[in-house]
Amino acid sequence: MGLDKYRINIAIIEPSAIVYEGLSNILLQEGEANYSLFHYESLDEISSEELPGKIDLVIANPSLNGMKPFEFQRKTGAAVPCVALVYLFFEREVIDLFDAVIQITDSPEVITATIHNLVSLKYLCKSEPQEQLTPRETDVLKHLVKGFSNKEIADQLNISIHTVISHRKNIVQKTGIKSQSGLTIYAISNRIINIDDFQE
Amino acid sequence: MYQTKKTFIKPGMKMSNLIFENPSLLLMLEHFGINIVVRDKTVEQICDEEQINQQLFICIANLYNGFNPTGINEIERPYTESIILFLKNSHRYYLDEKIPEIRDYINSLYDKNNNPEIKLVDKFFEEYSLDVKEHLNYEDVTVFPYFSYLAHDNKYPESKNTHYSSDEYREHHTDIETKLRELKNLLLIHIPLKHDQILRRKLLVALFELEHELLIHSVIEESILIPLIKKIEKQNGIG
Repeated sequence: MGLDKYRINIAIIEPSAIVYEGLSNILLQEGEANYSLFHYESLDEISSEELPGKIDLVIANPSLNGMKPFEFQRKTGAAVPCVALVYLFFEREVIDLFDAVIQITDSPEVITATIHNLVSLKYLCKSEPQEQLTPRETDVLKHLVKGFSNKEIADQLNISIHTVISHRKNIVQKTGIKSQSGLTIYAISNRIINIDDFQE
Repeated sequence: MYQTKKTFIKPGMKMSNLIFENPSLLLMLEHFGINIVVRDKTVEQICDEEQINQQLFICIANLYNGFNPTGINEIERPYTESIILFLKNSHRYYLDEKIPEIRDYINSLYDKNNNPEIKLVDKFFEEYSLDVKEHLNYEDVTVFPYFSYLAHDNKYPESKNTHYSSDEYREHHTDIETKLRELKNLLLIHIPLKHDQILRRKLLVALFELEHELLIHSVIEESILIPLIKKIEKQNGIG
């Protein structure tokens, strides 16, 4: 958990292993964000459900068969930016369907800048995780480490069980810690509870 | 763990060169029960001498080199014992070596800082190691004997509990991985201490090493051993 949330997932649809390896090295080494790459040799390998949720950006070779269904998917599916990876001459009309173009002769700087421009908004949203617990989450945490159940916490804080559960979820997400003993250590380290309050 | 290159291991390669590239392979040899003084032998020669199936050896070695398991379909019944031996040896490494090492670090941290949080970390790790022990014990006592019987085509004694499930397996593994991750989070992000830089680094590195080994362990079980057992059960007409 944690890190994966702040990754930018890129699908690369490119049949040539050489080209894919080269591109992935450039992106992983020179890219500013934390990229995870998914390699597909053709469009058929991508299931339609997989694209919208998981993938933030698509880089595709427009000479592949079935760029039309892909276009279709673009119109119907989630708004994922698509970059054309071009190493042949292409009709302007085809290229215009894409959000950006990478030429095979582009320098690493140009390639990473092209990608970064398209994902920068998402990157900014993703790269600033809120680590700090809210006052309400802190209250819930205090009760949690004392061993109260969701129902008891809800009663004492005058909130619904549903809200308690959602606070707990946020606590786990922000701290990366789930177990009660782990949360206790977290709470003591961050002076949320005092070690003396905590008797077993 | 400290890999410099990512070489896909093949039969004709010299074992010593591979170890220079990825020292974790020393641990792998140890788990296979092979002497780590490999001289100038190739992978193929070592497998022949030690009578370990080459496909299996290469598959696991490549796992250490960061490749997903390959050629699993060719791993057959006679290799069950080698896999079990490997896993049993790695159990010994966790229990007799890695877990005590980590405990020692935690105790030294406490000696230096006398901090109540470390006492709790110690307790946390104690609980964690009990979980690990319980799971390994379940494998040693319940699962592996059953697998051995199956592989030798023997009838398993009715009196014994044959009940293992791959779901239960996976659940144990996830549990063990989650707790270890929590511990790393606490030590890397949350617990402030003074005078502990070197100790804390050693502790964290030991935790990463344990995690890496446990990960390989669960991949071997879930992607190699269990599919093999399912195949054997089918051949034997069980399930």
